[in-house]
Amino acid sequence: MRTSKENTPLFMNPAIFIASSVLVGILFAFQEWISLRHMGYHMAAPIFFESWGFQFLVWGAMCWLLWRFLGERIQRATVVTILTLFLPLSIVASLAQQMIFVFIFHNLPLNHAEMTYWQRLSMYVYAELLDNVLIFWCAFFLFRGIGYYQQYREQEKAKAGLEIQLANAQLAALRMQLNPHFLFNTMNSISSLMRSDVEAADTMLEQLSCLLRLSLERGESQLVSLREELDFIELYLGMQGQRYADRVTQTVCCDPELYDMLVPSMLLQPIVENAYIHGISKTEAEGILSIEAGRNGDRLRISISNSGIGLKPRPNGRRGVGIRNIESRLKLHYGEFATFEMVEFDQKTVKVTIVLPLQHSTVEEMSLTRFGTQ
Amino acid sequence: MIRAVLADDEVLARQKLRQLLKDIDDVEIVGECSTAAETIELVRLTDPQLLFLDIRMTDMNGFDVLERLSTDAGRPLPHVIFVTANDRYAVRAFEIHAIDYLLKPFTPERLQSAVQRVREQLSASDPSDGGSPKKHEDERYTTRMVFKSRGRILFLSVDDIRWIEAQENYVRICTGKDSHLLRETIGSLENRLDPNSFLRVHRSAIVNLHHVKEVKNEADGDATVVLKSGEQVAMSRSYRSKIQKLLKLQ
Repeated sequence: MRTSKENTPLFMNPAIFIASSVLVGILFAFQEWISLRHMGYHMAAPIFFESWGFQFLVWGAMCWLLWRFLGERIQRATVVTILTLFLPLSIVASLAQQMIFVFIFHNLPLNHAEMTYWQRLSMYVYAELLDNVLIFWCAFFLFRGIGYYQQYREQEKAKAGLEIQLANAQLAALRMQLNPHFLFNTMNSISSLMRSDVEAADTMLEQLSCLLRLSLERGESQLVSLREELDFIELYLGMQGQRYADRVTQTVCCDPELYDMLVPSMLLQPIVENAYIHGISKTEAEGILSIEAGRNGDRLRISISNSGIGLKPRPNGRRGVGIRNIESRLKLHYGEFATFEMVEFDQKTVKVTIVLPLQHSTVEEMSLTRFGTQ
Repeated sequence: MIRAVLADDEVLARQKLRQLLKDIDDVEIVGECSTAAETIELVRLTDPQLLFLDIRMTDMNGFDVLERLSTDAGRPLPHVIFVTANDRYAVRAFEIHAIDYLLKPFTPERLQSAVQRVREQLSASDPSDGGSPKKHEDERYTTRMVFKSRGRILFLSVDDIRWIEAQENYVRICTGKDSHLLRETIGSLENRLDPNSFLRVHRSAIVNLHHVKEVKNEADGDATVVLKSGEQVAMSRSYRSKIQKLLKLQ
């Protein structure tokens, strides 16, 4: 786990951390001084505050070093590491702290000037080792807690990032839905038909309305069932078919067991639109457009092929915005588990193949179907 | 002649209906109105057989209009065809036995088929006709259904179904020139449909006997059901005697 600096709480700044530790020591000193006064002992205050303050100054510094050099290990520690490393370390650290303390305050305990350094040390170890070990473990769990907090913050941030990406994809999808190119071309066709063939204009207008209604209905859902997607694309094909009179043979073929599988919404329309704009419309010959959906182990394979003029390399070597959009959405949804491939064969036919992981729709489709008697 | 009233708050919407109805000879427009209050008044006054009704009008909605009208004693409600831009009310319209639900904009053919359904309803309920033989007596079976297909709302009479094909969790309902996918199992649909008209001929197919032309025996002992439209539906051996018996009865 890499913890980023900006998620480190402010109190882990060395000055603040050690100062707060000393403050805790002073509070303890104050408490002990008051309680001794209550019991009738009157002692000089400075020695309390000095000794407690110093003890916590040493602890503060040691804990901060612990954080600085072993912080990540504390956060990652397993039971085995805790038992083999941190448990011995807690005892060693406590002893070291007491050795320093006893060395500095040679007049403590009061009125025992005759005691040697080692005698005083052993006395303090007997009396306070457990308290000191406890302080170590408090710091240990504090640092571990900070680890969890940082992890949580990072996850939140990653989640927010994903949401932004999804929102962007949504916008892109929306732009595709209301693809102005398609919309205005259709309107132009209707406008032209209005003068020559009112009925055909009427039909086309109705189809356009159905198409818009369906895409508005989908709203914000990123994934739809394959059946919904095919429903939409069939409507779209119906309109294109009308535009190209009867010059184009369209087939849609889907294994029925795949109807409920989820696919990104508006996955097919840009590809079919491309097939018409860059393929079928470029030749006078009879056109063919076919969509096939089948199962490939635990993958869903959708292929769209069209006749025309094959693949012409684009001047800048990049794919069109519609195709790039699809690729980035596939990556966003499925990562490395989806593939997109566009190949040409026999110079004329272009075939796009999309392979996705099989993902069954769990949300029951809002169905309007009702049965009744007259 | 079918006497009809047009109720829509938009002038152009009424104009479109008026123009399209001009081509339908047996429909006569006896009045037009643009508000719910006017509609109630006009229907009471002219007693039409057919009401083209918009749902969203300025003062009340179409359903309120029908509710008011239904309190009028001794007067049957006109048949209602909803004409609206909103598909949200389709189920409600279906439940109050509306004839059809036209989503704006609609095509002349769509209007034609709606009016055709009105004709059938009128002739079925016409006592001088001696009752239509097609009228379904049995309340247990579905005679009409509403569903959505490719952005359109369809009020389908089961008589218009030619055959039904099972496709995993879906059924494909084949009508004249169209087919529609519904998320339904063929078994549950078979139970809803009148067995005197609809016969399961295969694990994955039901045919409407009214649309069957003949049963053709194949060399290997299986059979094919040929519909009047020319479509062929495979038939399992086990169902053959059943269909031959039923076809003789008709």
